[in-house]
Amino acid sequence: MSRDHSMFLHLLRRGLTARGSRPLIALIALTVAAAIITATLTLYGGLEDKLNREFRSYGANVTVAAAAGQSLPENEIARAQNALPSGSLVVPFAYVIAHSANGDAVVVAGTDMQQVQQLNRWWLVTAWPSAEHEALIGTNAASRLKLGGNFTLNFGNKPLALREAGTLKTGADEDDRVYIPLSMFEPWTGMRPSLLEVYIPGSAPVVNTALHNLQTALPGMQVKPVRQLLSAEGAVVKKMKSVMLASTLLITIMVALCVFATLTSSVLERRRDFAVMKAIGSSQWTVNALFAGEALTLALAAALAGYLCGGALAAWIAEANFHTALWPVLSLLPVAIACSVALALIASVLPLAQLQRIEPAGILKGE
Amino acid sequence: MFLRLLYQSFRRQQRRKLLAGIAVMLGVAVATAMMAVAVSVGDKINRELRSYGANIVVYPEDAALNVRIGDQQVKPASSGAHLQESSLPKIKGIFWGHNILAFAPFLYTEVEVNGHLIPVAGTYFAKALHYGSEEFTAGVEKLYPWWKLEGSWPDDESRNVLLGSRLAERWKKKIGDSLYLSGNPVHVTGILSTGGTEDNEIVAPLSLAQALAHAPDAIDKIYVSALTKPEDAFARRDPEKLSPADHDRWYCSPYANSIAFQLREVFPHARAEQIRQAAQNEGAVLSHISGLMLLISFAALLAAALAVAAAMATTILERRHEVGLMKSLGATASSIAALFVSEASLLAVAAGLIGFLLGDIIARSIGSAVFNSPINVSPVLLPIVLFLAWLVTIGGSAAAIRRALKLNPVMVLRGDVLRGDA
Repeated sequence: MSRDHSMFLHLLRRGLTARGSRPLIALIALTVAAAIITATLTLYGGLEDKLNREFRSYGANVTVAAAAGQSLPENEIARAQNALPSGSLVVPFAYVIAHSANGDAVVVAGTDMQQVQQLNRWWLVTAWPSAEHEALIGTNAASRLKLGGNFTLNFGNKPLALREAGTLKTGADEDDRVYIPLSMFEPWTGMRPSLLEVYIPGSAPVVNTALHNLQTALPGMQVKPVRQLLSAEGAVVKKMKSVMLASTLLITIMVALCVFATLTSSVLERRRDFAVMKAIGSSQWTVNALFAGEALTLALAAALAGYLCGGALAAWIAEANFHTALWPVLSLLPVAIACSVALALIASVLPLAQLQRIEPAGILKGE
Repeated sequence: MFLRLLYQSFRRQQRRKLLAGIAVMLGVAVATAMMAVAVSVGDKINRELRSYGANIVVYPEDAALNVRIGDQQVKPASSGAHLQESSLPKIKGIFWGHNILAFAPFLYTEVEVNGHLIPVAGTYFAKALHYGSEEFTAGVEKLYPWWKLEGSWPDDESRNVLLGSRLAERWKKKIGDSLYLSGNPVHVTGILSTGGTEDNEIVAPLSLAQALAHAPDAIDKIYVSALTKPEDAFARRDPEKLSPADHDRWYCSPYANSIAFQLREVFPHARAEQIRQAAQNEGAVLSHISGLMLLISFAALLAAALAVAAAMATTILERRHEVGLMKSLGATASSIAALFVSEASLLAVAAGLIGFLLGDIIARSIGSAVFNSPINVSPVLLPIVLFLAWLVTIGGSAAAIRRALKLNPVMVLRGDVLRGDA
């Protein structure tokens, strides 16, 4: 039995090492299959997260507003932050209508300049305010009211001396306003923020849960999702997931069939070995086990190599395209192994069944 | 003799040719479909992103500043500047008119309802317009697909209005109720909820708003949703400072800036600006999505090439005996190589053609299934794909052919190198 055993191992080893490039071709084909399956599945798994990140640049996806003419409760930012997942941004806004020295009305907004810079990255700002009494002037406000340099705004009969830090251009209402730091706005007007713009990272269900928590944390306030953003984001994520799934299936099926063709023909080619083994008396089981053992060894090696290559490929694509890391998913390793082993076993055992119907003598005589 | 060998090789070795052919066909089909999807996914996703709403706004050059916070509004010193409604169809006549997916004009005014001043926005809902012989509809139904409406859209010529959801709540009004806007009776056909300022407004047909504001033919703003190309450094250049050739190139690229520029040409004394939140961000999203699909299809191409090359190498390796026989009958290495290369080329072209058609079908069905519009494979791809298939097939066979030629024919025929390539 032990001699049989070592003979089996010997045959297995020689079958893999003494046949020149043939096992190498099978190995490469299987590795490619495992790699492409790993890479596309990894990307598919990471797609939603990556796309949601992309939509982060659109800014707030939720707003919290106080009832008309009122302000938000005390500690609104801390209360909102506590109700939200980490990575959320909460930016307060307060508005009043003030008048320039000429008596023209203009909307003045107070906000947290550092936070708004992070939230609204599409704002085209020539220079952000860095010191006290510096203001950001919307391009329309600057041109219509001739604001710039040093100027004064009046709220009621309280004047505020300001200096232009830069201009702001968005193509929307912001262009008509003057933005100043909240730390100056509150003592000047005596008003507190009436609006929070909130960015919540994550998929639609995560945002909905956070929305609910936010409503509980700030009762009486109007908590609203920014509907146009969620609708565009939802549509794009859904369509892209379908496209990726279709591509993944397509690529996987193609590679699997090509590998199947390669393996099948390399097994059929060895019908002489098969016949010799049968002729010198080995059992059907031994022959099958030998071929299956070869396939299994190749498949395991290919699955490991393919998993590493595929993970690296996916990571490279994510890094090159989204500039964020995409870590290999460990749970895909068993998937790669299972696919690779199943493919190799089916591709080598099916043709054997075909050969069994033929007499060894016939094969050896070359019929 | 050469042709007979070639013919017999295809006739006699159908199993091998079939296996190699299937591999080439599948590889080409996937390569074709993936390339088509990668090329058109940008355009398809661009259309999906346009559901976000407008990305360009047009307003009079000396428009008054918007001085409004929530319900509180200060009437600015009115400049009386308006755009003309009658010029609207010209929007479709600009160079990139076909990229304008939707637009809607707006006129803002105020009416007195039960002693309160209430803002009214007049707009098109779905108004049929024509420019030359081209028919199209303009309005908020298409521009803002995310507007949530209970009830039905008013007709653009009627005296029916939509009521903002918070106004409806405050006044306890329902669909079908009547209202008096500054004494004029109107009919509520729907309750509108947008999450924006419209919730506190009455949205009316433009003609009704013009009558209420006593401003015939006037509009304050036009919101435009256009398919644009992601902005690059060239797009940000000032058109005034470009050389004539560069100016033409800039003008003929569908950047948000150049479409805005063309809109300014249609509306004299108007300003057209990109709405940066929409325009800038969709550019970033789009370029990343297109980039992802391109990289994936590149990986698929590589995998297909490797898989096909492996299949080809295996089928050639099987044919050592033939090579040995031909050599011992006196065939030169070059004539044997020519035979194999022609075989591979025939296979590549035949299987490649079928694969291309299959890829076309796959791309179409992905397009219809996901985007409800087919993805067409450009015929220009055919020669490229066939050439790639040929290259891969020959490349996959080349090493195996070289090996087979190096073998000693006597040894091969005797079976001494049964499994050796030595």
